[in-house]
Amino acid sequence: MRFEVLKAALKDGAAARVGRLAFAGRTPIDTPNFLGVTSRGALPHVTPDNVDKHLATTGAFMALEDFIERPQQYLKRIPPIYATPTTKKHSTRLHSFTALPQSVTTVLNTRRIPAVPSPMGNTNASVSVFTSTGFQALTTKEYLSAVQTLRPDIAIPPADLTNSPITPNSKRALRMAERTDEWVVEWFSELSESSSPPTTFAPILPISYSIQWEYVSRLAEDYLPTAQLSGLAIHDPDLLPDLAEHCAPLLPLPRLSLADPRTPHHILRQIALGIDLFALPFINTISDAGLALSFTFPPPPAPSPENTTAPGPQPLAVDLSLPQHAASLAPLTPIRTCPCYACTAHHAAYVHHLLAAREMLGWTLLQLHNHAVVAAFFAGVRDTLAQGGPEAFEAAARQFALAYEPEFAEGVGERPRARGYQYKSVGGGEGKRNKPAWGKLDGEGAEGAQAGEKGAEV
Amino acid sequence: MASNRTFTSPALAFELVARCSVTRARASILTLPHGTVNLPIFMPVATQASLKGLTPEQLEGTGCRLCLNNTYHLGLKPGQEVLDAVGGAHKLQGWNHNILTDSGGFQMVSLLKLANITEEGVRFLSPHDGSPMLLTPEHSMSLQNSIGSDIMMQLDDVLVTTSPDKARMREAMERSVRWLDRCIAAHKNPDTQNLFCIIQGGLDLDMRRECCREMLARDTPGIAIGGLSGGEAKDDFCRVVAACTELLPDLKPRYVMGIGYPEDLVVSVALGADMFDCVWPTRTARFGNAITKHGVLNMKREMYAADFGPIEEGCGCQCCRPIEEDGAMGITRAFVHHNAAKETVAAHLLTLHNVWYQLNLMRQAREAIIEDRFPAFVKEFFGNLYADRSSYPSWAVDALKGVGIDLLAT
Repeated sequence: MRFEVLKAALKDGAAARVGRLAFAGRTPIDTPNFLGVTSRGALPHVTPDNVDKHLATTGAFMALEDFIERPQQYLKRIPPIYATPTTKKHSTRLHSFTALPQSVTTVLNTRRIPAVPSPMGNTNASVSVFTSTGFQALTTKEYLSAVQTLRPDIAIPPADLTNSPITPNSKRALRMAERTDEWVVEWFSELSESSSPPTTFAPILPISYSIQWEYVSRLAEDYLPTAQLSGLAIHDPDLLPDLAEHCAPLLPLPRLSLADPRTPHHILRQIALGIDLFALPFINTISDAGLALSFTFPPPPAPSPENTTAPGPQPLAVDLSLPQHAASLAPLTPIRTCPCYACTAHHAAYVHHLLAAREMLGWTLLQLHNHAVVAAFFAGVRDTLAQGGPEAFEAAARQFALAYEPEFAEGVGERPRARGYQYKSVGGGEGKRNKPAWGKLDGEGAEGAQAGEKGAEV
Repeated sequence: MASNRTFTSPALAFELVARCSVTRARASILTLPHGTVNLPIFMPVATQASLKGLTPEQLEGTGCRLCLNNTYHLGLKPGQEVLDAVGGAHKLQGWNHNILTDSGGFQMVSLLKLANITEEGVRFLSPHDGSPMLLTPEHSMSLQNSIGSDIMMQLDDVLVTTSPDKARMREAMERSVRWLDRCIAAHKNPDTQNLFCIIQGGLDLDMRRECCREMLARDTPGIAIGGLSGGEAKDDFCRVVAACTELLPDLKPRYVMGIGYPEDLVVSVALGADMFDCVWPTRTARFGNAITKHGVLNMKREMYAADFGPIEEGCGCQCCRPIEEDGAMGITRAFVHHNAAKETVAAHLLTLHNVWYQLNLMRQAREAIIEDRFPAFVKEFFGNLYADRSSYPSWAVDALKGVGIDLLAT
C-alpha cells in the first residue's frame, strides 16, 4: 500500500486533505473518497458486470460475518469462501468468491456497518457476530486466519464494540479499550511471522481519548515505526483533534471512517475533521427507499439576496415513488448532467414505474445512480480542496449546508424487503412496512383492496 | 405477396430459410419493425416492462431481440395515459428491439377469481380497488396500440384446456373468432404493428382444425396456438400442436403460447412451431434454479456450497464463460448458493444464465435445421437430459415418432 497526502492544511492538527491511496493491481483511490458497502459479498442489486461497467466505485467494504454462517444441518462445515481457488483475473479469494472486478480495492472487517447488536456480547477471545443463521462467536484467531486466507487489501483487526447508540459506562469503555489493545497486540505478533502480512487499519474506538490513550499510544510507538500499522479505522471522527494533539505521528496514516454518516452534511463534517475514506451504508438504504440522490458539491450558486422568491433548501434526494414522476422523460433528478447509466439510458418515468410495480430493476438503477452521485460529490470535494484549499472547502461546505435540507425524506415507496437476515427486530412490534403480497381468496382482510389507486377501465 | 420462400405484410417479413428433411422443423428469418430475429426463438417475458432485475442492456447482451410485455399488467401500471405520454413501451423501458404483447386474456383466467366473460368482453374486479372493470377486444387493441408492440395478440376467450364442458369450449372458440374480427376492426396501426390471431378449441382436434380454418381466413401476419400450458397432459399438448401446424401455411410465423421447458421447446420445434414464451426460466431463476443441458439444478442445495465450477460447464453466458475471456464475470456455483434467496444479485445472475440457455437452445436447434441434422440434435438433447433412454418421457417419444424421429432407436 502507498498513501500520499497531496495537499494538506498548513495549520497543525488534523484537517481536510487530498491524497491518493494505491494498492498494486487496483485502481488507485483518490481521497477523500468512499467505499461501496457490500452485503454477502455483493453490492446490493448490482451484478459484478454492472459494477465493472457502470460504477466508478473503486473500493468495497465487506464483513466476514456475511460469509461464515453455519447452517443447522451442517454445523461442522468450513466456510466455503476459505477454499475458493484463485485465478489470474481474481487473484485473491475475496475477489474470486465474490466475482468483484480485480480493480476494486477490498476492505474486510469482522462485522457489517451498521452492525446488529449482539445479546451475547464479546468475550476475551471472540467477537459475537450475526450471520444469516444467527449469532455466533468469531474468535480473534479465526478472524486473523481468515484475513490471511482471503487477503483483503485492507484488514481491520477486531474491535470490542457494543454496537449500541448508548454510550458505554466508563467501566465497559475501559474494558473495550483493554480488549481491543490485547487483540491488536495479538494480531501484530501473530503476523510478525507472516511473509506478506495484510495492510492493517487499526480501529479507533468510539470512546473518549482519555480512556483509550494507552492503546492509541501503543499503536504509535510500537507498530508505526515497524510499518506494521498502515492506517486507522475510525469509529468516531470527533476523536481526531485529540489524536492530532496527543499522537501526531499517526497523522500521516490514511483514515477510514466507519462512523456511518447519515447524510452528505455529516460526510462534509467528517472530511473537515480529516477523514480520507468512508464506508457509506446509507447509499444502499436510500436506494431501497426509492430515493434518487440529487446533491452536488460544490452546491449550485446561492440565489441573490434580493430575489425574494428564492426557493428554500433543496431536498437531498428525489422520491421517485411520487406520482409527479409517472410520465417524466427527464433524468432521475435535477442533476441534468448525471453521467450514470440510469440517467443516460433511462428516465424518471421508468424508475417510477419499476418502483410502483416492485420490479427489482428499479433498485438496481437507483443503486447505479446513487453511487454515481456520491462519486461525483467526492470528486467535487477533492477539486475544491486541491484548487482552493481548506478555506474554499469550508466556504463551499457552509453553502452546501444552506443549499440542501438537513435530512433525507423517508421515501413512500415499498422496500425490496422490510427486514431480512441482516436486520434484527429490537423490542418487536415495528409493524409491517410493506403491504402483504397475497390476500385471502375471499377478500377478507385483503389490504390490497384498500390501496388508493383508482384504475381506469383496463 | 408470397413467393415460395418469403411472405411480406406491411409490418412484417417472413423468410423460410431451411426445412428439416425428416421432421416439420423450420428455420426462418422474421423481420419486424424493430429489427430482425431468427426463428425458432424463445422470447423471455418482461411482464411489467422489465425482465426481472436485468437492465435492458444486460438482456441485449444475452442476444435477445424480441421479448414480451403484458398488456393487462401495463394497462394497470403505468396505465394507458402514461404509455401515451411516454410514447409507448419501447421508450418506457429503453428497449430498442422488438416487443410482443399478450392481450391479457390469459391473465383473466390465471389471476382473476371473478372474471365474467360475456360477448362484450371480460368483466372483472380491479385488483387495486375492487371496482368492476371491462376488457373488450377494442380496449385491448387500444392498449396495445398505446404500448406500440411490434406483435400484438388478439383478445381471446381462454378456457382451461382440461375443461370438460364441450359446449363452453365451442362457445369460447367461436367467440375468439368473432373477437378477432373486432380486434382487426379496432386495430389502428396495421402498418406498424402486427396483429396475430390465436387458435383456440381446447384439446378437441376437430374444433382446433375448425378454428384454424376460420382464423386463417382472416389472414393475420402471424398465427398463435393458444390455450395450452394450462395443466393438460403433454400427449394432448403435442397432438394439438401437431394438428394445428399441419394446417398452417408455411410462410407465416407460428407461435405456441406459454411454452418454456426445454423438452417442450425442442419437441414443439420438431412439430413445426417457431416461437415460444414462458415465465418459467426467469421465475425458476428467482427460486435459485439453474437450467442446464443436464437438467435443472437447485443452487440452494448444500452440495453447491463449495462448488467452484461455473453454473454450467461449457455455457457461453456472461456468468459461466471462462474467466480469462473478455467480459466474463467468473461466477461460481458457490457464490450463487451463497446469495440465493438472500441477495437479489443471485437472482439476477441466474436469470441471465437461464435466459441465455433458452435463447442458445433455440440457436442450436436453428443451426441443426439449417445443416439438416436436426434429428441428431434432438437425440443428443434428450441424451444429455436423461441418464438413460428408459427414462425418456413417453409423450416426447410418441410425439417425435409422429414426425419421424425414433428416440429409442440405437
